[in-house]
Amino acid sequence: MKTNRYVFWGMTQSTFIHIFLMGSALTCLFPLFWMVRCSFMTIETVFVDKALIPHHLNLGNFAIAWTKGNFAVYFLNSVIYTACVVTGIVFISSLAAFAFSRLKFPGKDIIFYMFVAAMMIPLPGFFVALFVLMTKLHLINTRFGYVLCMINMGLSMSILLLKTFFDKMPKDLEDAARIDGCSKIGIWWNVALPLARPAIAVIVIFNSLNVWNEYILATLLLSDAKLMPLQRGLMVFQGANSVDYPVLMAGLTMAAVPIIMVYLVMQKYIVKGLSGAVVG
Amino acid sequence: MRKLIMLCSCFMLIVLAGCSQPPKPSNKIILWHWMTDRNDTFQKLAQQYKQETGIEVTIQLFAPSDSYSQKVIAAAQANVLPDIYGVLDKKSIVADFIKAGLVADLTDAMQADGASWESSLFDKALADKRFDAGNSYGVKPGIYGVPIDVTNEQMVYNKKLLAKAGIATPPRTYEEFIKDAQALKRVGITPFVSGWGELWLLDCFASNYAFNIMGEEKIFATYRGQVKYTDSDWIKVFNVFAELRNKGVLIDGIVTKGNKYAEQDFALERAAFAFNGSWSVNVYHDMNPSLDYGVIPPPPVSTLHPLKIWGSAGSTFVVNAGSPNKDKAIAFLKWLTTKEQQVVLAQETNNLPSNKEALSVISPILEEFAKGMDQSTHPNIWPLNEDPSVSEAFDKGIQDIIIGEKTQEQVAQDVQKVKDFQMAKGNH
Repeated sequence: MKTNRYVFWGMTQSTFIHIFLMGSALTCLFPLFWMVRCSFMTIETVFVDKALIPHHLNLGNFAIAWTKGNFAVYFLNSVIYTACVVTGIVFISSLAAFAFSRLKFPGKDIIFYMFVAAMMIPLPGFFVALFVLMTKLHLINTRFGYVLCMINMGLSMSILLLKTFFDKMPKDLEDAARIDGCSKIGIWWNVALPLARPAIAVIVIFNSLNVWNEYILATLLLSDAKLMPLQRGLMVFQGANSVDYPVLMAGLTMAAVPIIMVYLVMQKYIVKGLSGAVVG
Repeated sequence: MRKLIMLCSCFMLIVLAGCSQPPKPSNKIILWHWMTDRNDTFQKLAQQYKQETGIEVTIQLFAPSDSYSQKVIAAAQANVLPDIYGVLDKKSIVADFIKAGLVADLTDAMQADGASWESSLFDKALADKRFDAGNSYGVKPGIYGVPIDVTNEQMVYNKKLLAKAGIATPPRTYEEFIKDAQALKRVGITPFVSGWGELWLLDCFASNYAFNIMGEEKIFATYRGQVKYTDSDWIKVFNVFAELRNKGVLIDGIVTKGNKYAEQDFALERAAFAFNGSWSVNVYHDMNPSLDYGVIPPPPVSTLHPLKIWGSAGSTFVVNAGSPNKDKAIAFLKWLTTKEQQVVLAQETNNLPSNKEALSVISPILEEFAKGMDQSTHPNIWPLNEDPSVSEAFDKGIQDIIIGEKTQEQVAQDVQKVKDFQMAKGNH
């Protein structure tokens, strides 16, 4: 009797938890579903047809979005920016985090807290300073200048995340590597980096998402349309007063696919990476 | 270590010194803008201009307008503004740009050849960037901008829905409007929608009626503090909204409705009348190309004073005073605002042209909007404006009247309290 009550209570609890989780999942997935749904509609039906599955499917929006939005150029640009920025962030932040965690040098804590404090400054706060600096350095309207700024934007959080990981790395591992003849760089490359793979996966996902969806800084630093990222293509469908929703949704769907794929490939590391429970 | 620091410093100095070369005149001019929907037409016109004159105009789009404004401000501080650009801010900010030497005075160009360029454009559109002698901004008198289109805010009506309610012609007076609204309600049609969740649109509608009820002298006297908001004429303005509420003219939730949603309601034929700007021609066309509608000014409630609508420059370009290609930039803007180019812009982008001569070849619905320009006014060209906190109290008070939280008298007293406070602080 007692067992039955426990089983019943357990099943009830599990049912409620599953209902709650399904509800949460639905609220997350519904906007994505709505985006895809609208991308198959026309401007005439998008405000009128309330059915979950549109009565008439219009596949032409994707071709319009690709050509009118000049997606081929912007897509390539975004791939280049994402690859360069994420590689740069992983390389620099892992080196910096390793130094903050395992090395001793004067002003270590102050410099680290300065990096962390940089996270608190909103992007528009340094627009003017950044623009003036990049103009003076002749890096305005260049891919290199934009990549440098984006790397800079992603560093603070990445350093903080990786430092937390490296702090938990047992000293014995480092000593063992040193006995085996590893230099400091060798320890970073052969010991610290492989152990921090989950944290690096989180950094890759977060920063890929950031760079892929970034537009404000690109508008500020780039003038030539040929250098602009993917988000510039989506702007074409948003007029000052009116928006071509179906084509915009088709563009958004295409823009979302690569980043969803990155997420799916790396998702197994995310929980480990965010909890910080790896090293040992 | 010191050597390294010295080396780095020298490198930085060399890099920084390299960027201080003054720009040279060329046959290329750069134009920055924010108008996504007009970009293709601008590009086309730039191509045409190159063929005609050999001067290459590079059109660069930065949207949305917030990002564009940030770029312009950053570029102004770095002194790298393009030859032609727009300042999307209030007149005081434009004045700051002028005083900083970033905007060229176009008065001479406008008034050359018997002021042919100036006279071809809507005066009210030019007034947006015109600074008169003794202006409160301390700017040298002159014309500092070229409007490429104009806008005004009026009422639109759905012909099909009016016919369904047995209404043959749109209302010419406020009384007729209320009567038509009752007829529409009887056949289950919502009479009126507007985005009055956005205070500026509500303020615009209210000021239309203020002009009609008391005339501009009394309005400005109120702004100067010589007439109180508790005056019977201001109560009459509030009464307009109370009556619209009491007679069930307004769509449910009008005071929380953004204009985008109000535009959807009208385009999808959920309401028979709407109060909106001339830009809505584009919006309605995109949402419902078969929508059959007309334009009227808000029906006047009084015959004592003319009802004035808001109308002014839509988008205005300025020329960089420091540009080595200043004259070429001015010449391009002059060309862009001639009748031929304005017709192309109006036909392809569905905006009201700033050139009066181009009105003869625009679409019928734009023509209806254009008729309102003669009776238009705008806060940007008024000799003085109300303190923003008083305007906010005024607009929010009207929202309170619409939702039935306050009476007209209560709102009048509340607004007057804010006005008295501002007067005591020395504002106006």
